Amino acid sequence: MSNRRSRQSSSASRISDDQMIDLVGKLRQFLPEIRERRRPEKVSASKVLQETCNYIRKLHREVDNLSDRLSQLLDSVDEDSPEAAVISSLLM
Amino acid sequence: MSTYNMVKQEFIKKWITTLHMLDCSVEHPLNVTERKNAIKLSSDIAMAAARSGSTVWSRALISRSGNKTANKPVARRILKKARNRLKNRCLTLRRNGNFTAKSGVRKRTELLKSLVPGGELIKNKDYLIRETLDYIVYLRAQVDVMRTVAAVDSVTGNLTNDNK
Repeated sequence: MSNRRSRQSSSASRISDDQMIDLVGKLRQFLPEIRERRRPEKVSASKVLQETCNYIRKLHREVDNLSDRLSQLLDSVDEDSPEAAVISSLLM
Repeated sequence: MSTYNMVKQEFIKKWITTLHMLDCSVEHPLNVTERKNAIKLSSDIAMAAARSGSTVWSRALISRSGNKTANKPVARRILKKARNRLKNRCLTLRRNGNFTAKSGVRKRTELLKSLVPGGELIKNKDYLIRETLDYIVYLRAQVDVMRTVAAVDSVTGNLTNDNK
């Protein structure tokens, strides 16, 4: 990985270090594993992509589980129901 | 108010609309599985519709959801509205070049493309990363809102049952 800096030949066809630092900075707020690292510039592109994919898959699973739970809890999705009123006041 | 709170607000507004419209279009009471699919579908449509921009993921998600609503004319109306809104925005996906990378990065990039709606259409790596970050923000908002609703409902559900 330390060789990456010396290979600047075709920077258009590789994820450059600058772009990687930028990406890691943005993803850091979402990915706890990367946030805990002390030297973010050493994180490999491969690792960042893997963590991103894991995170997205985790979020997809959560949406699926929550849809399950909500389908059992919600008898109807009536706008006038007390649930809707409580939700509106809490979230808006 | 933070940008993230605005995202959540937009999602909530759209979700209540889509839930209500899907609910109105139903004649018979739904079983649990049908209800779950309706909730998930309305949630996905709401997430994509809340993203009032020209992102690939939101358009791909809406057209993907279109396949699931063949029998629901009301849902098709929502999708048509959302599609028309997005169609009017210019978006060029034609950029220069694929990128070659080490096998680890390429393999994981392909995986990422399969996870982000419409990702397989994006050739430019910068664009893919921007789309991914955008998609993650909206996905998180969807999860946060649904989680709050589930928590609220498990409390009020007990209250309304007592009154019956």
